[in-house]
Amino acid sequence: MAQLETPPVAAAPVGNDHREALEQRRRDRFARVEPRGRRVFTARERAEMFVDAGSFVEMTPLRKAGATGSGVVTGWGTLEGRPVVVASHDAAVASGAIGAVMAESIMRAQRLAIDKGYPIVYINDSGGAQINDGIFALHGCGGIFALNVEAQGRIPQLSLILGPCAGAAAYSPALTDWTIMVKDQGQMFLTGPDIVKAATGEVVSAEDIGGSALHTATSGVAHLEVDSEEEAFAAARLLLGFVPAHVGAPAVLQPSRPADAVAVEELPGLVPDKSSVVFDMQRLLDGVLDAGPRLELMPTHGTSILTLFGRLEGRPVGVVANQPASRGGILDSKSSVKAARFVDFCGRFGIPVLTFVDVPGFLPGTVEEGRGVITHGAKLLKAYIETKAPKLTVIVRKAYGGAYIAMGARSLGADFTWAWSGSEIAVMGPGGAVTLLHKRALRDAEDPIALRDDLAAEYRENVARPYLAAEAGIVDDVILPEETRGRMADALRMLTHDHHADARG
Amino acid sequence: MHAARAEIVANVWKVLAREGDQVGAGDTLAVLETMKMEIPVIAGVSGRVNRVLAAEGVIVQEGDVLIEIDENA
Repeated sequence: MAQLETPPVAAAPVGNDHREALEQRRRDRFARVEPRGRRVFTARERAEMFVDAGSFVEMTPLRKAGATGSGVVTGWGTLEGRPVVVASHDAAVASGAIGAVMAESIMRAQRLAIDKGYPIVYINDSGGAQINDGIFALHGCGGIFALNVEAQGRIPQLSLILGPCAGAAAYSPALTDWTIMVKDQGQMFLTGPDIVKAATGEVVSAEDIGGSALHTATSGVAHLEVDSEEEAFAAARLLLGFVPAHVGAPAVLQPSRPADAVAVEELPGLVPDKSSVVFDMQRLLDGVLDAGPRLELMPTHGTSILTLFGRLEGRPVGVVANQPASRGGILDSKSSVKAARFVDFCGRFGIPVLTFVDVPGFLPGTVEEGRGVITHGAKLLKAYIETKAPKLTVIVRKAYGGAYIAMGARSLGADFTWAWSGSEIAVMGPGGAVTLLHKRALRDAEDPIALRDDLAAEYRENVARPYLAAEAGIVDDVILPEETRGRMADALRMLTHDHHADARG
Repeated sequence: MHAARAEIVANVWKVLAREGDQVGAGDTLAVLETMKMEIPVIAGVSGRVNRVLAAEGVIVQEGDVLIEIDENA
């Protein structure tokens, strides 16, 4: 059929210079991203390792900045078949410093992710703005920040810190949703130790001012510490598995799995009757959530509250829970900001928020007031109030005062709230309440401690028990521990009902 | 030397460890009381109690060292 003019395809095209030229360009390009220095994997290898095997497609691979590459490998791939955009800093080019061309390349990837509605993952390994590019570098960095913020209302953004990240390379992650750092390898700081010494005279190591321990435990700048690049990629994949591709996209459902059988058996007796005795909230969650992978964020920061992703009947849920086993499960500045950030994220992406309450209150005192606990506590109130995602709250033991409200109370817009039959809800704990209410009687009593204990027991039974709240309709019902999973699952099915599925059915 | 610290501002309610005691990782060394909660102070390592700095009835601040454990003894 083909006409005779068509040259034979198999034969080497003699004099076909443009083919050779392209091959050469591609070889040059690969040579540019090949140097790995002290790193185990190149920028391109990192991008390829992160996505499904063989799925990575690079954008503008021939892009150059002068004699070198652009300094970043951008492209897309899939995670278990779901598209994801990747921007991987190339530390082999000027330590990954962000020049004008690199910034343009990153912004192009951001634009694609935002416009098409796919998550974007930034693999960071960059010294910050490139000095040679001057104002053009700064202008580009600001452009990346602006798109980071635009993306917040549209798509999930993760930052992986795989090398020393200074300046702009540290600020961009702070504008993304979750930051994962590789221990002893990733650092984040405004400027590195050399500049610090020149600026203020302080002598510090890169680990001291920007290591993963500092940022995941103390500062809260990063949200997860892992031991290797492979673990960082695995954690990012796991995290994105709980999150829809963009705001308004459907949840990623999996088959329902029953809760851990042993934990289910333990659940009715897990919480000590005595409200002062601590227990492990993780174990309680084991008895309610689907068995299978969960992902706890900020596990070493603000540890009196837990924030984690899990599943209930296969549907991703965000869990906020007081952790009595750490600092008594109190709310303070750090734990409030931590929980507020998590609730805000869930709200943006429509991930139902399940709140498990056992809180003695906000920690009072000069230290906390000095840290601005009022402002930080208010952030938690605002996050719950603003969240449009389904909100389910269960009080498992005690909920006192302002902390009762802050932990996803009905008044903040919870769709359904329950209280376990042994729980207490009150403006303050029985001991404190009777001391105020019966000041005179206690002062005149022969044995004030005995009288206080009697009054406290009476208060606990008559005032603090959850029936008052249930009779007033402020909690929907008083339930048994073993009923929790069923109640929450029923409510979620109703609140997330797919009307299209109903029309088909 | 391992230091068991107060994780929160609290009143020292009970000190269980005595200098010279052999303790195992996970043992409760003392119990603090704050916000009507009993906060156990847990040994992070196994070893011999070198020094007990906590005294019952005293208020401690977050980060204060309560008990030192010599993990090599």
